[in-house]
Amino acid sequence: MKTDRKLKKQDIEKLSEFGIAESDILMMSPVDLSFDGEYIAGFLFVTKEKAGVCIKTLPDSHVNIFGGVKVTEELPEEEPVIKDVKIYDISGLAHLRLDTCIGSNVLTGEYEGEPVEIAAFTNRYSSEMNVLYRKLKAYIKSGELPSEDEHAEEEADAEEEGRKNKRSIFKRTLKYFLRYKLQIVVLFLTYAISAVVSIAWPYLTGKVLFDHVLTRDDAFLAQYGLNGRYTLALLMVAIMMIGVRLIQALSNYMQVFVMAKVASDTVKDIKTDVFDAMSRLSLNFFVNKQTGGLMTRVLSDSERVREFFIDGLPMIFVHGITIIATFTVMYRLNWKMALIACILLPLLVYLTVKLRPGLWTLSGKRHRAEKAVTAKANDNLTGARVVKAFGRQDTEIEKFMHPSNNLRDAEINIVKLRNRFSILYNLVQEVSSMWIWIVGVYFVLGTEEIELGVLITFVGYVMQLNGPMNFFSWVFRLWSDSINSAERLFEIMDAIPEIRENEDPVRLEKPRGEIELKNVTFGYRTGRPVLKDINLKIKEGEMLGIVGRSGAGKSTLVNLISRLYDVNEGSISIDGIDVKDLSLKDLRRNVAMVSQDTYIFMGTVAKNIAYGNESASREDIIRAAKLASAHEFISRLPDGYDTVIGASGKDLSGGEKQRISIARAILADPKILILDEATASVDTETEKAIQYSLRFLVKGRTTLSIAHRLSTLHDADRLIVIDGGRIVEEGTEEELNRIENGIFRNLLELQNKSLSLNSGF
Amino acid sequence: MAENTLNIYEKKAEEMTRVTMITSDDLFRQTEGGFLSLDAGGRHYDRVRVVRLFPFSDANKYLSIREYENEGREIGIIEDLDAMPGESKKAIEHQLTLSYFTPVIIKIINIKDEYGYAYFHVMTDKGECRFAINMGSNAVSKLSDTRLIIMDVDENRFEIRDVDALSHKEKRMLDMFL
Repeated sequence: MKTDRKLKKQDIEKLSEFGIAESDILMMSPVDLSFDGEYIAGFLFVTKEKAGVCIKTLPDSHVNIFGGVKVTEELPEEEPVIKDVKIYDISGLAHLRLDTCIGSNVLTGEYEGEPVEIAAFTNRYSSEMNVLYRKLKAYIKSGELPSEDEHAEEEADAEEEGRKNKRSIFKRTLKYFLRYKLQIVVLFLTYAISAVVSIAWPYLTGKVLFDHVLTRDDAFLAQYGLNGRYTLALLMVAIMMIGVRLIQALSNYMQVFVMAKVASDTVKDIKTDVFDAMSRLSLNFFVNKQTGGLMTRVLSDSERVREFFIDGLPMIFVHGITIIATFTVMYRLNWKMALIACILLPLLVYLTVKLRPGLWTLSGKRHRAEKAVTAKANDNLTGARVVKAFGRQDTEIEKFMHPSNNLRDAEINIVKLRNRFSILYNLVQEVSSMWIWIVGVYFVLGTEEIELGVLITFVGYVMQLNGPMNFFSWVFRLWSDSINSAERLFEIMDAIPEIRENEDPVRLEKPRGEIELKNVTFGYRTGRPVLKDINLKIKEGEMLGIVGRSGAGKSTLVNLISRLYDVNEGSISIDGIDVKDLSLKDLRRNVAMVSQDTYIFMGTVAKNIAYGNESASREDIIRAAKLASAHEFISRLPDGYDTVIGASGKDLSGGEKQRISIARAILADPKILILDEATASVDTETEKAIQYSLRFLVKGRTTLSIAHRLSTLHDADRLIVIDGGRIVEEGTEEELNRIENGIFRNLLELQNKSLSLNSGF
Repeated sequence: MAENTLNIYEKKAEEMTRVTMITSDDLFRQTEGGFLSLDAGGRHYDRVRVVRLFPFSDANKYLSIREYENEGREIGIIEDLDAMPGESKKAIEHQLTLSYFTPVIIKIINIKDEYGYAYFHVMTDKGECRFAINMGSNAVSKLSDTRLIIMDVDENRFEIRDVDALSHKEKRMLDMFL
């Protein structure tokens, strides 16, 4: 899309009418929508004093090219005609906003006090426009243009390009298999043996047996010193035949054995690399992709990569050699016969090429139908409680019929096509073998050009060619599938973790626990900040309460402190050191979080509590559990601290899980403690107990506590109220309570009131 | 005083839970700057946003009208756009066409799949388009058995209203997504 950024001759001429030269333009970005929702061409540009939008109407023949499409051929096209140019003085522009809608993005603002729409564009230009928007906003605000960061962008492009290159993907995948050199050599050897056997067998059972041994061909037998000893010769042939089969069986056995080893080892290697890479990635990656899909993708993709490299690739050589060798031998035996015998082979190949893709589409369809059925069944089973509670069994069964019928139809279709395919295929195969017999018999009896043995050899060869020929008709599909899979796997392996440790990270041995946020702005998606310009200083050992509506940005704020995400603007420092410079290990060790969604790992209660501190003694674990008011319920579990909980084990209630995660934090003994709704899912009584234990926990630590229930924040040294991504109120509880009509005061009153109301019931 | 705040909150809660309908008495206009303004319930809004609550199943019924500022607070709901008077309807539709810009594919010229991406070459009601989708992600979502939304790599949307209306050849090309 870089070409779109160049100004055309007519653009330059048009702009000069407004006194703007090409060199005046500081930045620009293409636009492609009119406000009436039609595709247009055009661009937005910014000069020192002006900003402008040039809009052109597209000719009817115009083809809109979107991201990811590579156009190789030059499209002859009329130039778009400039329809309109709007110029704005930058001094008059204010309140720029970039609105992202479902199918379009609109840049709006105020010009000389009046709200105006400036430009509209589709997502294909949204990243470019976002860059321009941010810079322009900064320019309007400060009068200075932020430094260029296009370099990074280009680098990313180049990397993308490199990754897409299929040959490099192939080479890279091959490396996984070349680690097992010895096994690969053995594999090739066994393949070569089967190739040789496949050539020798028809020759042995046809020409040698019939033409030389059974016809008592003394000249031939004399070569082996067997002239006249016909029974012995027959015995020798028989032994050789058995020997050949034996060798083949042995090599097949070796092949399967070695293949199983190489296949499972390489798949294991690939999977290990992928999971390794995944664990390095930041939270964002997992939020953006569905984790479940990711797992199956990794598993099935690595399987598919193996399929081609183990089953496909060596076979290309083996079958290639077989085909060439068979043809050569046939040609040497009798070239006329060879030509006639092979005349129907292309028909078979044509059949496969023609019909196979249909089978693939159908099996793809069946696969999707199968997935839909499983999804529906799964949905119903997990939601069984709701289904029963609402008495919807019958409708659910009915709803299940639809995907189920689809699956049945898909299955029937596939069987139909497969039958048609195999009937046709077998028919052609039969015809071709009969054809050889007919022609062969004519040759043998009519012209006496060949002997019976040669004919039998020929039939054997031609039948044997079917396999390899077919193989080549679908191996390319296998290859492209496997390269796709490999590409997806490498995509994960190559994904650059957004959170990267500095090359020479600062160690944080004994932190004091002082946190400072300077002008922090952050959003999960560009252009949508969740936190705006946050300035905050938390002293060593201070307990800070954070209050605010849900979605105000409280959890985001604490996620930034433990560096689960990186800030977009501004900086966060601990003990005066930017968190980006700190060693991640030290940072995470010193910052512990008890959050609203706690995760319990598969394992025993004790292991779960000791998650952040594996060297903890039993006594430490019990003490931590006691402090977290978890000891009571743990000792009531059938297996005490050895009870297996988590994914496959015993289910704990929300409050119990929360207490375990508090114990976890106590045991981890961090300098900075983050309590994100730590007592959200426990009853009032337990909350009191936890409150009590938290009092021990926060001692000597810097604590950030997020809470909806303001009563939990009584102990806080200071409170901040976040609203709309900004800190709107700050101070001690009393100070905040004094703010007339303040958010905190209103909330507090409301909660007190509703409490007294509740107790009235 | 305390009573007072409680009342305020109760009012707020009531406001949050109330469904306000916007009727033909309320007036929408297109402003000079290209925005949609609204006069409703004795208040004037310079700039409002329209959100389709059922964009696929019933695009012109139940439109949520929201303030532009104020975190997009809902002003009210239009039950049926077609029941709105001409000028209002036109102004709202103008807004909707832009924000829900989705070209409708009327003819498939070619689909080619290669290395995990499918390349579409289509004719839409907005002109000829070529775009790429990622086969690995759920780029094609089925709204019904015959209606598809296709999302390209940049998340631009394209729609196929009725698969059955396509020719046999076009359907064959599309087959791998059905």
